[in-house]
Amino acid sequence: MTTEPIGLAQDLAPKGVMRAQIGHADMAIWRSTSGVISAWENRCPHRGMRLSHGFVRGESLACAYHGWHYDCDAKCHYIPAHPELEPPSTIRPAIYSVVEKAGIIWVNTAGTATPAELPDRLLGLRTITMQCDLSTAAHAIASAAQTNAALFNGSVNDINSDQTILSLANPNGTDGICILFQQPLAQSTVIHVLAHDSYSQNELIAISRWCESVRREAERIMQSSNKVEPAK
Amino acid sequence: MTGLEHAQKYWYPVAMLGELNDGQTKNTQLLGTEISVCGSNEESVTVSSAGQLLAVQCQYDHVWTTFSDDPYPLFAIPEAEEPGRRFVPCGVVRVSCSPLRAVENFLDIAHFPFVHTGVLGAEPHTEVYKYDVQIDEKHDEVFATNIRFFQPQASKSAEGSIETEYIYRVPAPMAAILYKTCPPKPEAMDVITLFVQPIDEETCDVWPWMALYDDTSTMADLIQFQQLIFVQDRSILENQLPRKLPIDPGHEIPTKADLTSIAYRRWLKKRGAYYGALEKI
Repeated sequence: MTTEPIGLAQDLAPKGVMRAQIGHADMAIWRSTSGVISAWENRCPHRGMRLSHGFVRGESLACAYHGWHYDCDAKCHYIPAHPELEPPSTIRPAIYSVVEKAGIIWVNTAGTATPAELPDRLLGLRTITMQCDLSTAAHAIASAAQTNAALFNGSVNDINSDQTILSLANPNGTDGICILFQQPLAQSTVIHVLAHDSYSQNELIAISRWCESVRREAERIMQSSNKVEPAK
Repeated sequence: MTGLEHAQKYWYPVAMLGELNDGQTKNTQLLGTEISVCGSNEESVTVSSAGQLLAVQCQYDHVWTTFSDDPYPLFAIPEAEEPGRRFVPCGVVRVSCSPLRAVENFLDIAHFPFVHTGVLGAEPHTEVYKYDVQIDEKHDEVFATNIRFFQPQASKSAEGSIETEYIYRVPAPMAAILYKTCPPKPEAMDVITLFVQPIDEETCDVWPWMALYDDTSTMADLIQFQQLIFVQDRSILENQLPRKLPIDPGHEIPTKADLTSIAYRRWLKKRGAYYGALEKI
């Protein structure tokens, strides 16, 4: 199993909780008050509630249903219905390997998370979910990059040679933006967009809008290719 | 007997009497089968499925039907005969979860401070004290007693926070009855029920119904209070994994506060009530 980029580190502030999916793995990603990040199976062992609906208190994630508190090692240490009880150490959700690197949260559901190597000086811009498969998204991005000379020079590099990380050069031919792909479900693609730190605020806004237009184009292509031929 | 065959032997609510409208057909589903409710009142109402008429009875302000020619009798609620009570059908809430998960949540008190914050519970009053659960052999019902819980706003009629007493009855796999402290009439108990219409194994329509001593609140306020509670519950019920209720021990980890839930799951298993249940993991 590979390590997947599931979000931008800047989008998960201390005390924040988010949900992510890799294939059939539904997970809760959360950051403690002091900044420790964790990725767990998205299911409280007590009554199956999604932990991504939970809330952070100090160094614990509490389930939204009955407030069971789990520490950063995923051990349940407090059951509010029985404040005096020392919970059995067996009460813990499954944990996944998670690391932060280059502004990205990386998770591996079946091994140690090993982030991909990325160019230097990139900053997180935004994450966008597209209702299309990964190859449709990648093609829409590549063709849109070739028709926007104000932002890009048209060259698209496949950084890790499997179309899951693309870099688009800026008009000077140097570092531009980097797009990381993730496909949580068959018909849905998540892209995480990183931009070189030399871009101005206005350029970043333009890139952000460009991403939106690419999403719309990718979803349009997907919809028209999904159209069922009328019966003859 | 399959879980479906077992479930087909019970009566289920499919409409409120008050919503019947002459000349209008209500199309709905029961246990995965399309059904139609027609008629304008208790006398004229019919329920049919694929052109066949089903048995019908009107009780507790609802229309009940069954697929069986020889169903278990509809459970009794003696308080429905008591003069002075107000009977409040609260409408319907569609929930994407197993009908059994909806009932189990209704039997749970430990979630009050977290899901119904400031109404049915509040931190730091989270402790669930020891209570009793037994199977009432005579009626074959789950019966939980001596439940006490701190509640900031126990009901529309409560003035400020009180320690509330609860008693639960589970008279059928998809119905539960709660008796709780009645703030304006301490010698009596309010009745709040959860009647569940199983649409299919992972979808249900929940019909709360109440029989209260409360002469001051408006009907709209009483219904609004109960609807708020159930909409809060829905945010939990639609996020439990798996959607079916794991009926065998091992998949979920209960604690002492879950005695009613543990008894409910065992009782379901013993009678073969597997519709909406996850059997083997």
